[in-house]
Amino acid sequence: MFSATFIYQLLSYTIRVINMETEQFNIRMPKDLVQDLDIISKLLKVNKSEWVKTKLAEEVHEEKNKLLMELSTLYAKGMIGKKEIVQLVGRDIADEMESIKIIAEKSVKHGIEYGKRLKKLHS
Amino acid sequence: MEKGSKNYILDTSALISLESINILEQVLKLYSVTTTNSVIKELEEFAKYDDSYGEIAKSILKMKTKFTIESCEITESIKHLESTDNELYNLSLKKKLPLVTDETKIVHHTRHKIDVYFSPVFLILLLQAEYFTKEGVLDKLEKLSAIRNWGNNIIYLITKNQIEKL
Repeated sequence: MFSATFIYQLLSYTIRVINMETEQFNIRMPKDLVQDLDIISKLLKVNKSEWVKTKLAEEVHEEKNKLLMELSTLYAKGMIGKKEIVQLVGRDIADEMESIKIIAEKSVKHGIEYGKRLKKLHS
Repeated sequence: MEKGSKNYILDTSALISLESINILEQVLKLYSVTTTNSVIKELEEFAKYDDSYGEIAKSILKMKTKFTIESCEITESIKHLESTDNELYNLSLKKKLPLVTDETKIVHHTRHKIDVYFSPVFLILLLQAEYFTKEGVLDKLEKLSAIRNWGNNIIYLITKNQIEKL
């Protein structure tokens, strides 16, 4: 189930993608698929390429997030290290994952320390 | 009930996370919480919608008299962050108070300069102080993870792992 705020975020991402600098990306498609796109284009009264770009942006966004989530799971469980993440997806993402791990651990430590203090205060 | 000596700055994401699992009111009773006018405006935007985040935002806004609301001049700006986030960062710098947020981008770009925590810090804290049982806190963590679409992300896994050890 999608909330209005999630749809807003997805649309914002899609609009940003469409307005970005572009690079040519050619693919060959089955004739049947092209015909189907023609039908969609006519029924929705939209430009075929623009519709494909929008749909592709949505799918790429979802898939990227899903794969990065799986990667971060492996990292959190200690099954892969930062070095492997750098090799797979680059330094920027690896650095961000490391930050998240460090602060998650720091949050736990702070919660324990201040929880003990609070217990003492109210005992 | 005597409040703990700690004062925290909470952003929109942290407020929403805590209220989504019904612990914000408890946190407000135990600690002093500060946020910014920009955060209040963001919550007001969320509250315009009738979805789950909209309802949560409405609940938070009903409690706004219980926290301190301030504005802060941005004297040090981090280019990867939006102005609301930069304002929170500057408030944390100026007041030397920890910032609680669930925005990983804020955490990544500010952690070397300010104390910053994820919202499950309060789950651990309330468990340690015996306000909740372990089962109760694990249940809340599962609910938070579902609402936030965390799945098995780093925040969820590390927090869960630690709760199970306590």
